Amino acid sequence: MRRGVSRREFLKLSGAGIAGATLLGGCKDLASGFKSASTAGPNTLVLTKGPDTSGTLQKAIDTFNKEDHPFTVKWEVASADTGLYFDKMRTQFQVGGGEADVIGADVIWPAQFAANEWIEDLSDRFTEEMQSDFLASTIETSMYQGKIYGVPWYSDAGLLYYRKDLLDKANFQPPKTWEEMLMQARKIQADEGLKYGFTFQGAEYEGGVCNQCEYIWNAGGDVLAEDDPSKVLIGEEGAVLGYKTAQDNVLSGVATVASATYKELESLTPFIQGDAVFNRNWPFGYSIATGGKAAGSSLKPEWVGVAHLPTTNPDDEGFACLGGWDFCINAFSDKKDEAWEFIQWMIRPEIQKTFAIDAGFLPPRKSLFEDKKLLKEQPVMELAKSSFASTRPRPSVNPFYSDMSLDMAQSFNDTIKGDVTPEEATAELDKKLSRIASAAENVFNVGE
Amino acid sequence: MSVASETGLRKRQQTGVVSGAWRSIRGEFTDPEKRTAYWMILPTLLVVLLIAAGPILYAIYLSFWRVLPNGQTFIWLDNYVTLFTDSGFWGAAINTVVFTVASVGLEFALGLTIAVVLNRGFVGQGAARAIAIVPWAFPTVVSGIMWRLMYTDQVGIFAYLADQLGLVTGPILANSTAVLLGAVVSDVWKTTPFVALLLLAGLQVIPGDVYEAARVDGATKWQQFTKVTMPLLKPAILVALLFRTLDAWRVYDLFWSMTDRQLDSLSVYTYKFVRISQLNLSVGNAAAVLVFLSSLAIAFGFIKLLGTRAQEA
Repeated sequence: MRRGVSRREFLKLSGAGIAGATLLGGCKDLASGFKSASTAGPNTLVLTKGPDTSGTLQKAIDTFNKEDHPFTVKWEVASADTGLYFDKMRTQFQVGGGEADVIGADVIWPAQFAANEWIEDLSDRFTEEMQSDFLASTIETSMYQGKIYGVPWYSDAGLLYYRKDLLDKANFQPPKTWEEMLMQARKIQADEGLKYGFTFQGAEYEGGVCNQCEYIWNAGGDVLAEDDPSKVLIGEEGAVLGYKTAQDNVLSGVATVASATYKELESLTPFIQGDAVFNRNWPFGYSIATGGKAAGSSLKPEWVGVAHLPTTNPDDEGFACLGGWDFCINAFSDKKDEAWEFIQWMIRPEIQKTFAIDAGFLPPRKSLFEDKKLLKEQPVMELAKSSFASTRPRPSVNPFYSDMSLDMAQSFNDTIKGDVTPEEATAELDKKLSRIASAAENVFNVGE
Repeated sequence: MSVASETGLRKRQQTGVVSGAWRSIRGEFTDPEKRTAYWMILPTLLVVLLIAAGPILYAIYLSFWRVLPNGQTFIWLDNYVTLFTDSGFWGAAINTVVFTVASVGLEFALGLTIAVVLNRGFVGQGAARAIAIVPWAFPTVVSGIMWRLMYTDQVGIFAYLADQLGLVTGPILANSTAVLLGAVVSDVWKTTPFVALLLLAGLQVIPGDVYEAARVDGATKWQQFTKVTMPLLKPAILVALLFRTLDAWRVYDLFWSMTDRQLDSLSVYTYKFVRISQLNLSVGNAAAVLVFLSSLAIAFGFIKLLGTRAQEA
């Protein structure tokens, strides 16, 4: 822990200091992340992950515990708020690791943890042969400086939902470009009297960053250079064009300005209530949109179409932002072999199938996208196959991604609200990201 | 008074006024009974120093360091320079000032009106008081989310009304100015009862005979209010303003919940820097120190006012 020491020491000592200084300043929960007394026995492996409303994770753990393994698994339920969960994990690592052995980690975490040597290098265990069945982007997010630190658990991809009935009626094919989408939405809005043409997630949070990346990639741009994470490309032509496209979608009136306040559910609601023609969302929206009254949807299942996200120019390559979760092993854990045994069990195709069917956690395994029975149970997998195949990770290979994400979310949010021009916003963001990238270079030797 | 302390008192009187200050301090400790008293409060003093003053001073000291995962450097005031050159900090500071002035101003005006009305005897006075206090009973996060729902474009009643009246074009929550005004409205709704309650308590301790005297002297109702009620209410007013100003200055939970993290106050800004960012931890620490020092300045300002005015009254 050559790198972690000073910061960890600092935090140990300053935790109380900052808490004292901010007693009058309103910050309240600074002490909440400190290591709690271990409640796990010597033969108990602790997995930490946010809540799962479907109950599938607990069932899987129960199944595992009933089988003949030399240890049992206990699930320590983390915060449903990914930001708070991340914050807690980071604090636990800084003060000595916490009690979790296996960490259910958001796909944007591995590099940030790995750079500080908080999670275990899995290169010897998770062999390239094993990796070959996983979507390339899911492996990419688990890599840091040529080594692999995470095992993909389940995946998400940004999709374009559309009203199949209305597009058919107007004789439209799903749009290939954003311009086409605007044209179709306007026509259908005028004919059918729909309130919204298009809704997406533009609030100042991680989901906004996903939408932002998709706009940039699908206009031929990028945030960081793919081969050199210390090189910032947000000020270049492609990225500016992506920002312009997003702003145009809003300024044209087709996408509501309120998208600047929308997260997933707020943007899905108008669509499933029949008030919007198009919606950008994750695969979970499919079962809600096609779930009828019980799920709160007023659409008939056959009205719901899923397509690849549009691009700015017809010849641009289309990408979808990768979301989802990985397994990581705590570097401070004394049960690394047990942890690896459990992870191997969890990523077995049949277990991943159970998660896909019961919880809607879509598998990162390419082979499962060919599994006829699974595709029948989860039709969105069939519909979204090409989107999953073209997923790309956010620039989370940078160990200071949290800092980048804060600035990116704010910049994108300001742009779609119309407070700044795309040129101003990207120029400003370029400066901020360059500063962060050079700090990462100095601190962690990223990019060399 | 005991014999021992009388001796102490006599001793001090004997030494006269020459270097009186030092003598009186020494007197405090030569007097055995007082010395015992000091010994007895010493543990408490140490605890207070340990848990309050120590960490604060330490946090101030830490704000002179730049801390990164690979090490720390002493950089004097560089964190503060970074803060003052960050447009985000000034945005947060302006939001905080506007919010504090607007919300405390409105809460005081409305609170005083409500207090004066509630102070008059009328049928159902008790029930009226109970009802008036209801908004204050809501936890801030709950009321923040409630108001957020009322402002949202899809189901919000206020969004609908504002749209019908042409007050705001577009969704309230997507407009930086409108959302700040929305936060002021929500805070005024929630904390006016608190101000009213404090002022009502102040009104009730003003004896009736001063009004009688004013009436005898021929004072009009308005004169009675400005010349009798207001001066006698001053201590209560200052206490109410002190509490509200400090609370508004440190606003965090309302902004966080009502605007879903999109509106920055100084405290929200500090949180983002200290807890989310890795690079700006020390700058966030400097911001925390600033929030603390400015809160302290506000508190001292009010206490100074409060102290002198209370003695005058």
